Amino acid sequence: MTQNEKSKIRAKVIKWVTRLFLILVAIIMLYPLAWNVVSSFKTSTEFLTDPFAWPQGFAWDNYVRAYEKSNLAANIGNSIYVVLETLVIIVICVVPCSYCLVRYKFPGAKLILNIYMAAIFIQATYIMIPLFLQMNKLNLLNSLTALGVLYATMQFPFAIFLLTGFLRSIPRDYEEAAMIDGCGPFRILTSIIIPMCKPGIVTVCMISAMAAWNEYPVALVMVTDPTKATLPVGLANLYEIQRYATDWGALFAALVLALIPTVILFIVGQKQLVQGLSVGGVKG
Amino acid sequence: MKNRQNRQKKAQPLPILFICISVLPAVILTLMFTIWPTAQALYLSFTNATSLGLNNKFVALDNYIYMFHDKSFIQALINTAKLMAVVPVITIFCSLVLAFVLNQCKLKEMVLYRTLFYFPNIVSLTVVGIIWSFVFHPNVGIVNKILGAVGLESLQRSWLGDSKTALWCIAFTLLWQAAGYYMVMHIAAMDGISPEIYESATLDGASAWRKLISITMPLMKDIIGITFVLALSGTINLSFVLSQVMTGGGPNGASSVLLQYMYTQGFVNGNFGYAMAITVFTLAISVALSMLSRKLTDASEGGQ
Repeated sequence: MTQNEKSKIRAKVIKWVTRLFLILVAIIMLYPLAWNVVSSFKTSTEFLTDPFAWPQGFAWDNYVRAYEKSNLAANIGNSIYVVLETLVIIVICVVPCSYCLVRYKFPGAKLILNIYMAAIFIQATYIMIPLFLQMNKLNLLNSLTALGVLYATMQFPFAIFLLTGFLRSIPRDYEEAAMIDGCGPFRILTSIIIPMCKPGIVTVCMISAMAAWNEYPVALVMVTDPTKATLPVGLANLYEIQRYATDWGALFAALVLALIPTVILFIVGQKQLVQGLSVGGVKG
Repeated sequence: MKNRQNRQKKAQPLPILFICISVLPAVILTLMFTIWPTAQALYLSFTNATSLGLNNKFVALDNYIYMFHDKSFIQALINTAKLMAVVPVITIFCSLVLAFVLNQCKLKEMVLYRTLFYFPNIVSLTVVGIIWSFVFHPNVGIVNKILGAVGLESLQRSWLGDSKTALWCIAFTLLWQAAGYYMVMHIAAMDGISPEIYESATLDGASAWRKLISITMPLMKDIIGITFVLALSGTINLSFVLSQVMTGGGPNGASSVLLQYMYTQGFVNGNFGYAMAITVFTLAISVALSMLSRKLTDASEGGQ
């Protein structure tokens, strides 16, 4: 009996120690972000006298200044446009392509798959300069539409990797049945493959949306017109300006505004994001 | 194509038109915006191309030879090597420990922790860089305030302005934002390990630490190999954005990394050819390292 009680107490202690440990890690993970949110409500003098104190009141004018002094509204609009375009291109190009690569043994299918696997390594940052030269030649610098095409193309290797893995796990029976019923490949794609692949497609979209929303180096190089800058570039510019103007309240407010859409997307699509990581990781 | 009652699937003719329509758009875009620029990068690395675009001359390996006489390049290379030696190992280890604790603890709020730890990873790196610049800020930063509060004023410094610490601040920020990402991957893999193995280990009196080292890590060797490669190439890529935003490579190149130096050479100094040689070099490192670690995981598997 006492032995039993002892082990019960032991289990409880272990539980609380792990809980404490996890809470500590959670604080390290979240404190910088929370500090940023709290600071966005402080006036600059408040922030300078004590960066940790709770704000006296809500300095909403930080947000007003963040909005007025920057192109934040335009930046957010640009980013949304680029992300949506990226997603449309990815879905239209990647889903049929992955389907054909997995299901039809046409000459070159293997080669294309191998090229895509190798291309996972070629990050856009590496080929920034030739891309810049090429876009310059095509007169596509400062074009958000072109930026969306670039983002989509950069995601192809990973998206195809993920989706072909997903497609291989779907049994062929449905397709074969449909084929016997006289369904053409296009019908099979739209009425069997796409509905069955939905979780995979959503995951690819979530990951690509995050990547496009957060991408910095390529946007920095391709778009020089400040009214056309995407959010990460706009924020970096704002940081450069406010760092010397020391209007930190407005800077923090701008960062919070930039975080809000990310948080929303995260809450909505958390499950798919986590799922995508498991699929991508395990299948590798 | 009428359906033929053919048992052999291979006998069915390939729907060529459908395949073309499906595959070509993606392939053409990839050729235009990935393969061709990569080939172009390789070509440019053998020329003395500049941003002015005049008289590109073929200079063979001159760029590559010059690279190793260029002190700033050597410094960026050493900095990148330091980051790659430290950040992936610590990141993977921390994420493994976190994944293990979350996997084993059976706390009700496990999903909450997983969400919270993963969150830093989805925040834009630019935002991460800006926030952490303030954390390390000499006057208002958290780090210096905490040091002051516990009486360690002597350690206070301008973290990002000090050539001894700037690079390690970037390393810590990388760790902070990546740990949750790999943790989620590891949790997914750990879910596949049967709980019975742990139970019998518990009966044998194995400590949690022992279980992590002797059960979890060997069973997850493959996944760890993959996440390690991802962490290596992630370090090369992400350090660029953080170094660009947080320090601009400074002070005096103390926190510059390969891709950041490439960016400076290419877009600030306009030496496209030289910048591309740096790119090709970096790409070669990242491919070689990942091939090496694949080999290592394969070899240790074969040895068993």
